Amino acid sequence: MNKTSTKSSLESEYLIDEFAPALERGPQWLRERRRVLRQEFNSTPLPRRGLHTWRYTDPNKFLIRHDTVLDTAFDNGYDDVEKVELAHLEQGHLSGLVIDHGGREIKLHGLEELSEKGIVVTTLSEAVSRHKELVERYLYQLVNGKTGKFEAMNGALFNDGIFIHVPNGKTVEKPLHLLHEAGGENSANFHRVLIVVGKNAELTVIDEYGGGASDIDRGVSYTNSAVEIFGFEDSMVRYVLFQRQAASAHLYLTHRARIESGASMLTIPLSFGASLSKQNFGVILNGEGAESKMYGLLFGSGHKHYDNHTLHHHVSSRTTSNIDFKVALRDRAVSAYTGLIRIEKGAKACEAYQENRNLLLNRGVKAETIPELEILNEDVKCSHGATIGPIDPLSVFYLTSRGIPQNEAVQMIVSGFAESTFKQIPKGLKERITDSVAQRLEDI
Amino acid sequence: MSDSAKQPNSDLTNLNNDYATKYGFRDPVDYFHKGAKGINHEVVEMISKLKKEPRWMTDRRHEALDMFFSKPIPQWGNTALLNEIDFQNIYYFVKPVKEMSKDWDDVPEYIKKTFDRLGIPEAEKKFLGGVSAQYESEVVYHSMRDDLKKQGVIFLSMDGGLHEQEEVVRKYFGTVVPPADNKFAALNTAVWSGGSFIYVPPGLDVKIPLQAYFRINVENMGQFERTLIIADKGSRVHYIEGCTAPIYSTESLHAAVVEVIALEGAYIRYTTIQNWARNIFNLVTKRASAYRNATVEWIDGNIGSRLSMKYPCIQLVGEGAKAEVLSVAFAGINQHQDAGAKVIHAAPNTSSRITSKSISKDNGRASYRGLVKIYKNAVNSKASVECDALLIGEEARSDTYPTMEIDNDQVKVEHEARVSKVAEEQLFYLTSRGLTEDEARLLIVNGFMEPFTKELPMEYAVELNRLIELEMEGTVG
Amino acid sequence: MAEFRKVANVKVVPEGNMKAFEIGHHRFVLCHISSGIFAVADECSHDSAPISDGELRGEEIICPRHGARFNIKDGSVKAPPALVPIDTYETKVEGDDICVLLD
Repeated sequence: MNKTSTKSSLESEYLIDEFAPALERGPQWLRERRRVLRQEFNSTPLPRRGLHTWRYTDPNKFLIRHDTVLDTAFDNGYDDVEKVELAHLEQGHLSGLVIDHGGREIKLHGLEELSEKGIVVTTLSEAVSRHKELVERYLYQLVNGKTGKFEAMNGALFNDGIFIHVPNGKTVEKPLHLLHEAGGENSANFHRVLIVVGKNAELTVIDEYGGGASDIDRGVSYTNSAVEIFGFEDSMVRYVLFQRQAASAHLYLTHRARIESGASMLTIPLSFGASLSKQNFGVILNGEGAESKMYGLLFGSGHKHYDNHTLHHHVSSRTTSNIDFKVALRDRAVSAYTGLIRIEKGAKACEAYQENRNLLLNRGVKAETIPELEILNEDVKCSHGATIGPIDPLSVFYLTSRGIPQNEAVQMIVSGFAESTFKQIPKGLKERITDSVAQRLEDI
Repeated sequence: MSDSAKQPNSDLTNLNNDYATKYGFRDPVDYFHKGAKGINHEVVEMISKLKKEPRWMTDRRHEALDMFFSKPIPQWGNTALLNEIDFQNIYYFVKPVKEMSKDWDDVPEYIKKTFDRLGIPEAEKKFLGGVSAQYESEVVYHSMRDDLKKQGVIFLSMDGGLHEQEEVVRKYFGTVVPPADNKFAALNTAVWSGGSFIYVPPGLDVKIPLQAYFRINVENMGQFERTLIIADKGSRVHYIEGCTAPIYSTESLHAAVVEVIALEGAYIRYTTIQNWARNIFNLVTKRASAYRNATVEWIDGNIGSRLSMKYPCIQLVGEGAKAEVLSVAFAGINQHQDAGAKVIHAAPNTSSRITSKSISKDNGRASYRGLVKIYKNAVNSKASVECDALLIGEEARSDTYPTMEIDNDQVKVEHEARVSKVAEEQLFYLTSRGLTEDEARLLIVNGFMEPFTKELPMEYAVELNRLIELEMEGTVG
Repeated sequence: MAEFRKVANVKVVPEGNMKAFEIGHHRFVLCHISSGIFAVADECSHDSAPISDGELRGEEIICPRHGARFNIKDGSVKAPPALVPIDTYETKVEGDDICVLLD
């Protein structure tokens, strides 16, 4: 798609119209909120390029014009992955499967067992009436117009979304799989996920993003997704993001979780696809004894551009966090990573660690990393580290001198690099991930 | 204007007086020429005329002033404090004496008294090769040792350099820090006055450190010194800068620019201890270019001022060049030390190391802002960054904002940062051996800063230790 | 495989003007000066600002952010704070069309 560069401005074509069809959806309170978010979007200027979270990525790329975007642009039928996951469901590896086409068409599979236990997995359009109180209380609490301009866009325009509620004390043993499929060229898809996990409850969610057309010159498949997760006291939540969108895809994703005392959270962002993605993960530690861990793995190839942001915000004392974000790049891929650890004034005896390791597999890749700390009281133990560099040639030599072909040696080393993250991935998905990595390491 | 080879003096070992008496004084305002407050093209023209500058410098000043007006205040950093600066409420030029003194004897009495109070006896001390003392906006007294002069080392005030070495100045001025670089560099380029000009000829090893220090007095005085140091091929030089100032109630602005050029194979070490009074805004642009196989080291200590924003930068533009930045910041009551370091690798086989240590006490805030940028052509480069922050007290704050931009796979970059408080076990160990808690804490802080203090010439190390002690006691601010 | 791609009609970039374009993952600026039409990458090597937001003066393009200047014919640095040249793209004019060599 040829286009002339646009200066950052509030060009009127990019505003959200008064009567955009998407804004009419839902009950009165929701429509009112959407209107407010629309106003917030229209009046917020584009983020300035000088801000470090936007230094490396052009915010113009996440704007859309309603008249150039087609509402339905899906290929027929299900893609291969949907078949694979339906098979997993049948074999009993998953506790349920939700397939979401562009936030417009959501199909629920295999949820009878969960239903019997009182665990709710449904669409937001259902939930606004059936679980009105919960949705009204929690929707938009963590990701809204104050979070940013594109979050306001999602809040105003999301069509339908997914709502999950695990009541106090309940455990969902097997992973719940959400499969979001983006539309074809010149489509815009808005997804929304709201997850509430009660006291002492347990849940594992796999949030997969696929789809999109393969030729970006014919048009972009744009996806904007917002994920809000609430983990109440002593709960345990595992959230895995698996992003493998096609070559025409632009993805903007904001994830925010808030966990209360004694709760633990494990977030695993795995990014392999899309032409351009800006992904923002944040956990707010809002009660004593809360603990959050993040294991990220990003594998860039071709000309992919990745921009990731992580946030660990310690609001309460005696909370701990740890981020291990790994990046491997080949061809002309680019990765920008900004990670913030913020420990508030009254949050004593907190521990926070962060590490970002970047493996550059050939000349021509670019890695940027800005690990940040904002520490407002002395009673902390906090450190962060970052490394950027190629595979140690000695390691490769060690393997090739034992008869292992160069290609395989590199694969082994990269797998070793990603090992600590692989260990955290639920079975079933793990095989698909290791296959993805292997595929991308071909002919290095 | 020639420089006489009079005995210089600058010994900072007289540390018996306590800080308030020593530094908390003001001279009667008895100056020869004090321009009106505020900044505009007339002021700039006047400054240039009074200094009898060549037209090209006057033109550059005017261009820079336009850039200053067109640039906004930075939107990052301590924007609350930055927005407090009232540019039209500052004096931009004050000339305390008619012309530069040739002899220490010719220096007016009250100026000499000021230096006495700062603990600078007349007698020369062996560490020093020469001294230029910046008083207000003008270099009052300047002397240089005979042998240095004979070797061809040029150590002048920046004004002197412009007049006596016009071609050299014209060749290098603004090549490392262009006026459009940032608002305060533009301001400095428009109204600069004073500072040092140093040129070291090829192959010369200047064994004795060159030194200068600065002072502000008049309320609402701005200090805009400009320093340019050129070490020609294979030469070595160590420059030291340490400032003190009296305490007063209205804000004062210090926006200096330092340009350092190390040509092929040269070595330059630039040491600064910044100890401005607590109401001063210290916004400095310091940058060096290191050519082939050259080495530049910034040793940077930030103790004073209300807000300091200073990110010494080294551009490695020649193959094999090396950079080292060793920085220490102490943020006490109401202070914000916003410091850091920047290294740009723009040539192959270059290496850099940044070590930053900060201490925040009471409600002080220490920030580290850094950049390691490695360009595509800088193959086989190595960069490492280590930031350690020590927090003392419930209200202390530490921020770390390091950026790494790497455009090359054949490099090795490492970054590590740690934030912690004074360890209980360490305190216990020391107090159980008879030290008071205060003494123990001081010892731990000194230990924390040791990698920095051991790089300083002795009298600076002594002064720094003394200052840290006062900070820890909380008798200042 | 690099090949010449039609980017714009000559009328779109009159003499003395410049205009930014984006094709695939290439972002570049077409600059029309008296000696011809040249193309440079639309990214300042100093701090990645889009130089198309700046000024075309003679044979030089001036980045608006910090004043860095580059020669548009060969991408070389003409003024600090830039240290490293910017990429150039080969151009040719076929009839009324400006073409740029891209892969």
